[in-house]
Amino acid sequence: MWRTVCGVHYMTPGTDNHELFENLRLELRRGSLVLAVLAALRKEHYGYTLRKTLGERGMAIDEGTLYPLLRRLESHGLLVSEWREEDKRNKRFYKLSADGKEMLKQLLTEWQGINSSLNGLL
Amino acid sequence: MDLVDSYVNAVAKALPEAQRDDVIGELSEDIRSEIEDKQKELGRPLTEEEQEGLLRQRGNPLLLAARYRQDQRSIAFGGQIIGPVLFPFYIKVLSFNLGLTFLVVAIIFTALAVSGQKLGFHDIVSTCLLQLFIQLSVVTLIFALVERNLAKHPDRWHVKGMSGKFRLDLNIEKDIPLRLGRNIREVSRFESVSIIVACAVALAWMTEVQNFPVLILGPAAAFLKLAPIWYQIYFPIVALTALEIVRAIINLVRPDWVRFRAYYGVFVQAAGLGIVYFVIKAGRWVEAANSGAGGTARTVEIINQCFLYALVGTAVFSGVMILIRVVRLVRQPHGQHGSASVGARAKEGN
Repeated sequence: MWRTVCGVHYMTPGTDNHELFENLRLELRRGSLVLAVLAALRKEHYGYTLRKTLGERGMAIDEGTLYPLLRRLESHGLLVSEWREEDKRNKRFYKLSADGKEMLKQLLTEWQGINSSLNGLL
Repeated sequence: MDLVDSYVNAVAKALPEAQRDDVIGELSEDIRSEIEDKQKELGRPLTEEEQEGLLRQRGNPLLLAARYRQDQRSIAFGGQIIGPVLFPFYIKVLSFNLGLTFLVVAIIFTALAVSGQKLGFHDIVSTCLLQLFIQLSVVTLIFALVERNLAKHPDRWHVKGMSGKFRLDLNIEKDIPLRLGRNIREVSRFESVSIIVACAVALAWMTEVQNFPVLILGPAAAFLKLAPIWYQIYFPIVALTALEIVRAIINLVRPDWVRFRAYYGVFVQAAGLGIVYFVIKAGRWVEAANSGAGGTARTVEIINQCFLYALVGTAVFSGVMILIRVVRLVRQPHGQHGSASVGARAKEGN
């Protein structure tokens, strides 16, 4: 009986495991995205260049996630933004606020702590 | 209007007004920057198909807009019935329907009160609760079906032909002319399913009204009855509703038969106008249930007057709609929809 159950379990591991991996991977990435966005915004960016920068550094993010996140961070006072004309087009530029800089510092310390703890476990 | 504008406007329609300009300005800029980047990379302008491909990657505008909204309320009973994507539209439709229904109920009760009829608190509460129950059930059922469809087929949408209009946008004064003017390539399956459900509910309701006039007259059914004209036009109306169900089923199977729907729409609207003409000609739409009651005569008179205004308004509206539909059919080159649709479907692999 036990063998049959195990057999059935291992008959379809591909899709199940892949889906599970994808969910866990997204969860892991979601936690790091705020940190990545805050870190990238030490330098001023508008949405598209920020998305490109993050993508080039291996933290690809779609606009449906990035822009609502930027709004949330701004509403918490961690970012400041302004609309400015560049190349004859209106763009919204974001950068870290003073509170954002402080928050980034704290989060980086936390992240480094987690990183070294994990390294100790692995 | 180019494809980017169409897409961005479709997102805008699903956003709250306070957020709209801000989000749209930024989204539009993001899309145009991406297009520029691709053009630099390729050394040539993007074709319409390539632009469409980029927009499709961004996903269904309705789902994208939902991610920007702060309102993430939903309705769940065990499983999710209406999710955060459709919830604001659900509330809009429900508020509109309930508002309209309670307005009609208020007019009827005012007419009864003015004519000196005695109205009990119980009558008012029971009528309001009944209407609330009917509206809540029907609207929730339709939205639950749409939600299921959306969850099952999130990618079933078209960049081309959106022209910034959303079928779920209920900004009626803006939406009606826009809907008539748009270049639809396919009849949405959402629309077909919604029409089948709505017509089936309407058929059931019409059948019950025959036996229980209280469904339309409320407590006034105790001393009022429907005039014979309603019984005379019952079968034509049922036939038209049944034909509309048949049409929706055909369009469910063949969504590319857009022109068929357009001709059919003119036919149904014209037939409806014919029915309204006979109803107006009847001159009386409600009668006193007991001919001896003196106060009832005044009530009957007031309600019939209200009916006359409503019917004339309906006739004028139908006439204008027929005219617009006919003009649109004449202006649109024959075969435009059919061939374009097949091509679009083939490309999208639907």
